[in-house]
Parts: sequence; C-alpha cells; structure tokens
Amino acid sequence: MSKVVSLSEAMASIEDGSHVGLTGFAITRNAVAAALELTRAKRRHLRLTQVIVGLETDLLVGAGCVDRLVYSGGSLDRFGLVHAVNRAIATGTLQIEEYSTLALTLRLAAGSLGLPFVPTRSMLGSSLLDNLRAAGEIVEQTDPFTGSPVLVMSPVRPDVAIVHADTCDEEGNATIAGPRWSLRETALAAARVIVTTERVVLRGTIPPERVVVPGTVVSAVTEVPRGASPTALPGHYDYDRAWLEAHVEATKEGGERFRRYLEGMLEARAVHP
Amino acid sequence: MTQASQPWTPLEMLAVAAAGQVRDGDLAVVGLGLPQVAALLAQRTHAPTSELLLELGVFDPHPTGPSMGIADPRMWEGAAVFGGVLDVLGSMLHGGRVSLGILSAVQVDPDGSINTTQVHLEDGSLRRINGSGGGNDIASLAGRTLVVLRHEPRRFRACLDFLTSPGRAVGGRRRSELGLPGEGTVAVVSDRAVLEVTDEGTFLHSVHPGEDPEAVLEATPYAVQVRPGGPEVTSAPTEEELRLIRTELDPQGWYTR
Repeated sequence: MSKVVSLSEAMASIEDGSHVGLTGFAITRNAVAAALELTRAKRRHLRLTQVIVGLETDLLVGAGCVDRLVYSGGSLDRFGLVHAVNRAIATGTLQIEEYSTLALTLRLAAGSLGLPFVPTRSMLGSSLLDNLRAAGEIVEQTDPFTGSPVLVMSPVRPDVAIVHADTCDEEGNATIAGPRWSLRETALAAARVIVTTERVVLRGTIPPERVVVPGTVVSAVTEVPRGASPTALPGHYDYDRAWLEAHVEATKEGGERFRRYLEGMLEARAVHP
Repeated sequence: MTQASQPWTPLEMLAVAAAGQVRDGDLAVVGLGLPQVAALLAQRTHAPTSELLLELGVFDPHPTGPSMGIADPRMWEGAAVFGGVLDVLGSMLHGGRVSLGILSAVQVDPDGSINTTQVHLEDGSLRRINGSGGGNDIASLAGRTLVVLRHEPRRFRACLDFLTSPGRAVGGRRRSELGLPGEGTVAVVSDRAVLEVTDEGTFLHSVHPGEDPEAVLEATPYAVQVRPGGPEVTSAPTEEELRLIRTELDPQGWYTR
C-alpha cells in the first residue's frame, strides 16, 4: 500500500508535545525541509532525541518549538557552534539530558529491541553521569558477572522519527548512502517513522540488501528533492557554504536577526517546495 | 615569542608533535579538527599501517584534501567501510579493539581529563561548546588517549568546569576503580610542549624548538614535574611533514594556521 503523502500532511501527524527522533549529523543529512515544516506549523513543546545535533535541531530550537533535548552534543563542524541550542541551554529555556554518542545510541538500540535496560562502560566518572543520575534515566550498578562498576540505562522510544533518505519506495523502504551513524537505531526505536526522500521509486526497484530503514516501521513517505539542503547529502549535493555561514551569523546574534533569517528561509522553501 | 622566527606555525608544530605520538599499527578513533590532521600526517609518514576510524561509522578513510570536520563527506573519501556508531564506538571501541584515541580539548586537568562541554565565564554566564559527542566514549574506552590543545593558561585547570571525558583518574580514583579499561590520557600535546601524563602526575616531557621550559611551566598553572636533566626538545617538523600539511592535509590552514 502506498504511504506517499505531502510534506505538510506528513508533518501534521506530529502533535504538540510529541517526542521526535531526528537523524541528521552536524552538517550532513539533516531533515531540513521537515524541520521547516514543523516550524511553519508552529509546533510547540516538542521533546527531541538526536544523537548528534546539527542545523535541523538548531532551527527547531531557535524557532521555539522545543522544550527538551536528549542528545550527546553537536556543532556545525568548522562552520560554528549550534548557537540557538547553546543559548537556549545557557538561558534555561531548553531542558537537556546529555549523554555520550555511544551511550545514547545504545539507549536507542535498547528501545528498538524492546530491552528493559542496557549496560555500558562509557561515561563512568564523568560530569555527564553526575547530571544523568539526577535525571533518573541511569543507575550505577555492579556487573553481576565480574563485580566491576557498570552503568545501566533505560531504553528510549520516540513517538516518531524523521529520516531524510536518498531513495525510498512508496511503501517506505529507504536507502541511505554513506555512513549511517545512529540513524537506523533512532528509526527503529521510534513507534513510527516519517521518511522524506530525494526520490520516491517503485516497490521492487531497490535491491532488498540496500534498504536501511524497512518500510514496515514507516508511516508516511514524502518526496522532497534537496530536502536536506543546506546540509550535505552524500552522492547528491554538497553543503551550502554561504547558507551555513548565514545560519551561524543569524543564530549567533539571535532575536530579530534570527526571526528575519527564518522567515526568509520559509519563503524560499515556499517558492521551491 | 621565539616561535615567530621558526619556519612553521605553532599549530603546525602541534600537529607534527601529536602525529609523533601515533605508533605504526595503531587503530585510532579521532575527533574533529587537529586530531584528524595529526592522525593522517602520522599515517602518511612513520605510521603507514595505522588505521583511522570516525565515530559516525567510517573505517579507514584516505581523504585527499581538507574537510570541514568529521561530518563533511570529503573526510570519508577512500573509506573501506561505511557502518554506524555501533560499529565504530560499539564493536571496535567498546569491544576493546581501539588502541588510540586523539581528542582536542577546551580544558585539561593534571590527570588528563578534559572538558569539551561548557565553560563558566567570569560574569557568571555559561558558554556551551560542542559537548561530548564520541569524545567521552573514546577517552573512556581506548587503549590510550592523546589530548591536543592550545597552550593558554586558562585551559590548564586543577579543576575542570565540566569533566566531559575521563583521564587516568577522576577525583583520586584510578580508572580500574571507576570501571574503565585502558591507560587513559598518556600525553597532552600543545603548541608549545608535550606533557607526559602518568599515574605519578604530569611531567614536562619536551618543549618545542625555541621554547623556554620556564616560560612553558609558567603558562601551565597546575603541578607539572620536570625529570632530572630537564625536558627534551621536541623534534622539529621535517620538510616532508610541512609539505604534507600545507599542500594536502590542510592547504587552507583551517586547523594549523
């Protein structure tokens, strides 16, 4: 059965207060078109889980859509910091839970597998652990087999994950070129997945071994060419240097400057959907 | 500063000194920026069988030009495998196969623990930076870790503003007591010196050519010991090393100028 819908229809299924898993990484494969649509629809009180944040998250936080962020860090690589996220943390308007990359990926993997908890040796002795202990998502335990200290973490299950795929068939079977970081774990941990893609193709044209996100967990597919721009999509397009620089400047200054930048971005997207 | 008279920049010297700590055969996970340059420089010179891993799932990349960071597809050029975080930070690193981690830091302490998360400014405000990413995983789980940073006194802290990634000990507790494998931080390489980090404390191992050991110690405001006979002088960059940095690894000077 075809799951192809418009971008606005797909995004309208995400309600205020939803827990959303995002799957971009810094300046690459961000679901920018989807994030802008959530911004346009003025979604509020979202809870985001994303292993490494990037431009999409910075836009959503800057636009005031997000109350809580579960992540392990991130930046726009050498272009600069995620100023909107960082400012919201420093001023207390954004609540965070902060992990290491592996620890948060393991929590998502536990969510995808239905495991009740997952152990790790990452984060022992760190300030990350001190803060997370207080949040109650993590407990220091003794390894029942060796007696060593070990951390035990709860699983994460977002309500919905958003993935920007290279190609996707109409039933949601999606391909991802290049490294996959925590994209698959995030998608499979979520109750359902929305796929935006450069190109929708017919069922049967993607060799099954190339499918990274199985259509079985996908609820909606929408074709958005250049949907990750201005971030890079390996094999399709490079990051847009000028746009990323403009983003860093606008978010660094914040306030009215950021509002003008965001409005310009929304208008540009409305003309070239 | 005497460095101005050297035919290389302080950060080129840092990259070369950090590369010198890489051993042939190392399996190394590297962080964003100077660690990328140092690891690739070592691979092109004295450590040809060393292999790089990037946390996002890239095995053994051989980039032919500069990149804006580890998320820049240019950095993945020539890779052997594209996998994910669970392959690199999971099976390779948590699985105990990674011999070396190279990380840059905003602050470092005498145990070689580092802060890459946030800095408390004098006016009481908070400056947030990149956070851990895979840095904590690398420092927690690699066989040994190399820390690189600019030699500014405010970066060398007896007490970090935030302990993102552990070194050889935390609050007097050794890694084995904390449940951590590996040696932890073995060296801190700056643009002025190489500090050796041991369970007996931090030693001034070598100062870079043209640097005065006393001035380096003064710019390092925590306890640094000096062995009898004093610190060595770090080997100067070779012409080949400078050529590689300037023409292939960092021609724009994003990281080393």
